[in-house]
Amino acid sequence: MKRRQANRLRRKERRAARAKAAATILPPEGVPLNLPVAGAGVRLGAQIADIFITGAFAITLLVMMSVSGVVSANTMVAIGALLFFAIRVPYYVLAELAWNGQTIGKRMMKIKVVSHFGGSLSTHALVLRNLMKEAEVFLPGTLVLTLSHESPIASWLSFAWVTMALLIPLTNPHRMRLGDMMAGTHVVHLPVPILLADVAQSSPPIAATGPKTFVFLPHQLDHYGRFELQTLETFLRSEAAPTNPASHRQRQETLASIIDRIRKKIGYADVVPPSDHQRFLQAFYNAQRAYLEQRQLFGDKRVDKHHRQAPRG
Amino acid sequence: MKEVTSTIRSARFRAEREADWVRLEDLVSKAERGGAQSLSFAEARDLATLYREATTSLSIAREISLDKALLAYLDALAARAYLSVYAPQEPLGGVFARFFTVAAPQAMRRSAGYIALGFLSMGLGVLVGYLLYMDSADWYYVFIPPGLADGRGPDASTSDLRSVIYDASPEGSGLGAFASYLFSHNTRIAIFVFGLGVFACFPAFLLTFYNGLILGAFYALHVERGLGWDLGGWLSVHGVTELSAICVACGGGLQLGLAVLFPGQQSRKDALHRAGKDAVKLALVAALMLLVAAILEGFARQLIQDRTLRYVLGWGVGCLWLAWILFGGRRQV
Repeated sequence: MKRRQANRLRRKERRAARAKAAATILPPEGVPLNLPVAGAGVRLGAQIADIFITGAFAITLLVMMSVSGVVSANTMVAIGALLFFAIRVPYYVLAELAWNGQTIGKRMMKIKVVSHFGGSLSTHALVLRNLMKEAEVFLPGTLVLTLSHESPIASWLSFAWVTMALLIPLTNPHRMRLGDMMAGTHVVHLPVPILLADVAQSSPPIAATGPKTFVFLPHQLDHYGRFELQTLETFLRSEAAPTNPASHRQRQETLASIIDRIRKKIGYADVVPPSDHQRFLQAFYNAQRAYLEQRQLFGDKRVDKHHRQAPRG
Repeated sequence: MKEVTSTIRSARFRAEREADWVRLEDLVSKAERGGAQSLSFAEARDLATLYREATTSLSIAREISLDKALLAYLDALAARAYLSVYAPQEPLGGVFARFFTVAAPQAMRRSAGYIALGFLSMGLGVLVGYLLYMDSADWYYVFIPPGLADGRGPDASTSDLRSVIYDASPEGSGLGAFASYLFSHNTRIAIFVFGLGVFACFPAFLLTFYNGLILGAFYALHVERGLGWDLGGWLSVHGVTELSAICVACGGGLQLGLAVLFPGQQSRKDALHRAGKDAVKLALVAALMLLVAAILEGFARQLIQDRTLRYVLGWGVGCLWLAWILFGGRRQV
């Protein structure tokens, strides 16, 4: 039982590591960037939106043509399929060319096609990946929908082909379709840059009244690592605005228990009065961060309190 | 703003550069909204410079800073800026012109061997189909699906066969006929031939061969009734273009399949990526040829009833394709 759980945990870790590696793109500048790979669900959503857009356009045209009497009823299906095809293929290619790897559906889902090897998307890559989309999904899909009992072999073949084409993205960490592999592209989530205030800069609200400053000695700062520091950072950021008395009281309690833990761990003898809690934590964060960053500059990267060293490179 | 003199190195690092990052963020969102052409000269220049500064900041911050929010921000900002700096800058018109004048003919010439293989498989199919039909007419029913034959089989009378070949009154409008021809048998074959090539060539070769079989048996049926030349004319109008398109698509498929089968020193993925460069152009050319063939089939075949004129038109168009492929995109010396 325990071993199975451990195995599952290890598999999960490995998968996370693979996903993290897949999210890295190396631009020509040589600084690896983090662009999280878009999952199959998001891409399917974008695809459905695009199909709706092109389909609605084709149907509108078809209705206009049938009203004006250009097409007769028995050729309607053929012309409709042709229209859909003739609108769909250029739509994908031209939209991705004009909007730098985004169609309208992809814009709605905030995802984007990027070059797998860094650098800009080439026209060739965009044409190839969208043509392969036709060969992979749309045309065999149409065949599955239109063919009937007359040719069961063709229907089953197309069905198997579409299924396989849709399963291929699930087998690689970049979620690449066959067309993506050939074109050297994959699809990423657009990252949103949000600049939060620096916690080390924000001065505590009661700093002016309390003249006392907290001083930490080097051996007191030797206990924690990056993980604990960043957890503290997250807590300090979430402190910003108390909404109601209940949550305010709860936060005070959490604050007190955190400070209690820290004082015990680092051996800080002085008692911290509740009015100084906020200031103490802020001061501790500043001192701890300055200390850890200093150690890091000297090549001592501490990942966490167990003093695990960060992997080189 | 309050002046804070922080002793933390990473906080000072951030304070010194923050203004530049915010400006970069503005420029990136402007470029994303209106495209790179909406930027003024100074803005475009700043975008590139600030982007490089941001990547440098990011790599420094990764070394010296433990501020999680800052690292996440810089990562996202640099990635966003990277995407707008390395956006494709080519005008659409140029893309089309280059494809038709340079890229497509060159790709066709480069893949001449594969296309020849495509023609070979179809030719073999025709030969085998012809000989088998001449051996026994029953083979006709084996090869040709009833939907495709449309009543034209060994049981049909010679006059029936002739009336299909010279039929001036097709049902439906010209546009309807055009659409149904485009989505007829041959287009499907071409698409499958190309797509299935990835599976180690074999299906592409087989399907082209099978298409040849159908053609051979069909031709043999008409030859037997003394209609060989007439069928040749009927087929020539669009068939020269359409059957060539299938062979070109087959060539593209074979190229992909051979990359999978024999990747050489590269990984299969890389080999596929490399082979895709020419194969996609072949697919586009095949699609173009199928479009032209559908126009010819939907309109020209009904308008022109004369046998010689049909031959002239069909093979004339074929010669035009050949000339484009042979002489297009050669560099002037």
